[in-house]
Amino acid sequence: MIKILLRYTNLLVLTLLVVVIFSFALAYLFPGEPYTNLTGVIDEQAAAAHQNLSVTSAFWQYLGNIFAGDWGLSLMTGQSLADEIAITLPATLELSLYALAFALLVGLPIGFWAGLKPHKGIDYSVLGASAVMHSFPVFWLAMLLVLIFSLQFGWLPMSGRLNLLMDVPNVSGFIFVDIFLADNIDRSQAAWDAVKHLALPTFCVSIITMATIIRAVRRSTLEVMHKPFIIAAQSRGLSNAQIFFKHGFRNALLPILPILAMQVTTIITNVMIVESIFSWPGIGNWLLQAIYQQDYPAIRAGMLAVAGAVIVVTILIELFNRIIDPSREKFEDVTF
Amino acid sequence: MALLDIKNLTLEIDTEAGWIKALDKANLMVKENEIQALVGESGSGKSLIVRAISGGLPQQMRITADRLTWRGKNLLAMNGEERREIMRRDIAVVFQDPIGTLDPTVSLGEQLEESVPYEFVGSGWFWQKRAVRRKIAIQLLHKVGIKDHVATMRAYPHQITTDIGQKFMIAMALVSQPALLIADDPTRGMEATTKTQILKLFKRLNQTKGLSILFVGHDLLAISSMADSMTVLYCGQTVESGPIQKLQKRPLHPYTKALMESAPSFRVDLAPKSPLVTLPGTIPTLQHLPIGCRLGPRCERAQKTCVQAPEIRKIHDHQYSCHFPLHSKAK
Ligand SMILES: Nc1ncnc2c1ncn2[C@@H]1O[C@H](COP(=O)(O)OP(=O)(O)OP(=O)(O)O)[C@@H](O)[C@H]1O
Ligand code: SF4
Ligand SMILES: [Mg+2]
Repeated sequence: MIKILLRYTNLLVLTLLVVVIFSFALAYLFPGEPYTNLTGVIDEQAAAAHQNLSVTSAFWQYLGNIFAGDWGLSLMTGQSLADEIAITLPATLELSLYALAFALLVGLPIGFWAGLKPHKGIDYSVLGASAVMHSFPVFWLAMLLVLIFSLQFGWLPMSGRLNLLMDVPNVSGFIFVDIFLADNIDRSQAAWDAVKHLALPTFCVSIITMATIIRAVRRSTLEVMHKPFIIAAQSRGLSNAQIFFKHGFRNALLPILPILAMQVTTIITNVMIVESIFSWPGIGNWLLQAIYQQDYPAIRAGMLAVAGAVIVVTILIELFNRIIDPSREKFEDVTF
Repeated sequence: MALLDIKNLTLEIDTEAGWIKALDKANLMVKENEIQALVGESGSGKSLIVRAISGGLPQQMRITADRLTWRGKNLLAMNGEERREIMRRDIAVVFQDPIGTLDPTVSLGEQLEESVPYEFVGSGWFWQKRAVRRKIAIQLLHKVGIKDHVATMRAYPHQITTDIGQKFMIAMALVSQPALLIADDPTRGMEATTKTQILKLFKRLNQTKGLSILFVGHDLLAISSMADSMTVLYCGQTVESGPIQKLQKRPLHPYTKALMESAPSFRVDLAPKSPLVTLPGTIPTLQHLPIGCRLGPRCERAQKTCVQAPEIRKIHDHQYSCHFPLHSKAK
């Protein structure tokens, strides 16, 4: 167990280091002074001093700053980038998390259902529906939904996270946590408002992932239910429900987790697209602004933050998968 | 009365070439308190018979039978619930591939404890029940000859060796104290001493507990030492069956004779250094089955009528399916 944790920590640290190196290199590749790109400060003297530094010592300095939480300033606003990211990244992660949760909540049962009744009417309709879902371009779907639910019927708000009249102080960056922590507002009304704001973007982002999950779960259920150990369980007189919940479920889920880890990237990318349509104050929207304004320090820091978040989440899912799948050690014994 | 009675069991498999009869009117009967052996070459369909008995066939297989009964009750006509109850309490199956029949994500101990029928556990708090299950599990492991029960119960299927897996599956099968144990090649690849240990266990259970056993395998020597009667399968057809001494002394079907002769140690009256007799040719694939008696192309006694499948003939409890049996004047 400790060995596993060590191995994954090692993996995490090394990968993050590579990302930091990449972001450092960006500062040199972007137009302008590397010093300005790294810090967001325009200061000729300091830039000249920085140029005299060797690249390695400049990198160590940068690494130290990153760890100290000093990510530089935005050229656009002059604000600390770390602070801005601390506000926008949680909004993005929140949306991604709900989209993933919603995709799982709907996708898993449907996938299992189709997989347990293969090659029947239900199965084919599920497969057909998931193929359609998978081919929606996410921005088009988002606009379509806005057109229908916001503009036509006026049921759901079309932008933002919360009604501007609600005054919820930003503490954690996660809207429901902040609503819970805020004290001078009607919490249930605020929460309901937040849900309404979340509904459309969450749905848009989750639809593609849901289709992927349905197909993967169906396939792996189909495969697992033909394994000899399922046949053996049948021969022991277990009922179909017992067999599925005791032996089928877990084994069918194992191949899903790596797919989930890969979906994290898809989801975060889609969230960043959807954000600009719904004016969601997330990091995608923020990065887009930074790109328009050629705010190089912000682009660098934003990429670093997004890449870091993706890596951490992906490795955590991998680790979880490793812990619940005992047969994986079989392969590792060979490589170690 | 017979425990398990199978008459004219036909199992068809859906392949690219259409539906193929992998079992063609196979017959098998296991009586109360007997050890019945089912022998035949690799690919003759022994495991398919086991699958057909245990139920839950995949969609690409279908079976028909004149009779498939358990203690007189028709297994094919009963509903899922009744059939499961029989499989849960009365019939236990050891499949051929022991490691594959274990759930890879659950430790062996949990799987064994889970299969202890609730009737044996009694009532009490869940930790008391757990302790009872554990005790039963450990006793069983010792019984089948697994001494290190702690390590075995903690292990996952991929961590154990094949022969531990084989023994473990026997323990899993015995846990419900069944009336019939179906063991598909349970001693395959085992070391000689381990094998004798398992065979002795089977014999003992048969004698002391009245356990009936359907022993599937190739090992004629082991079979002759423990089985009461034997059924010979060739290419999905049962060619001969009866008490083992009768088959051994006076086989009536050419295939049975060839089978016995191919296992010299099994023969009582073999002169030293006499050449090994084998049948010409090889077992046909399922895609190229001959019509009628499937032994036809390899049989030296074959004649025109052999393109019609022979009926079963009986001499007391000795049955065979051949138009021109041995020890009879050829017409
Ligand atoms: N699922 C399947 N699909 C197609 N063919 C199958 C399937 N299962 C078994 N067969 C075929 O049925 C025939 C009988 O197989 P079976 O496994 O019963 O042989 P066996 O007598 O148990 O052999 P062995 O002694 O090697 O275990 C073989 O020719 C095999 O190829
Ligand atoms: S029926 Fe004919 S082919 Fe078949 S075993 Fe008898 S003699 Fe040979
Ligand atoms: Mg077999």
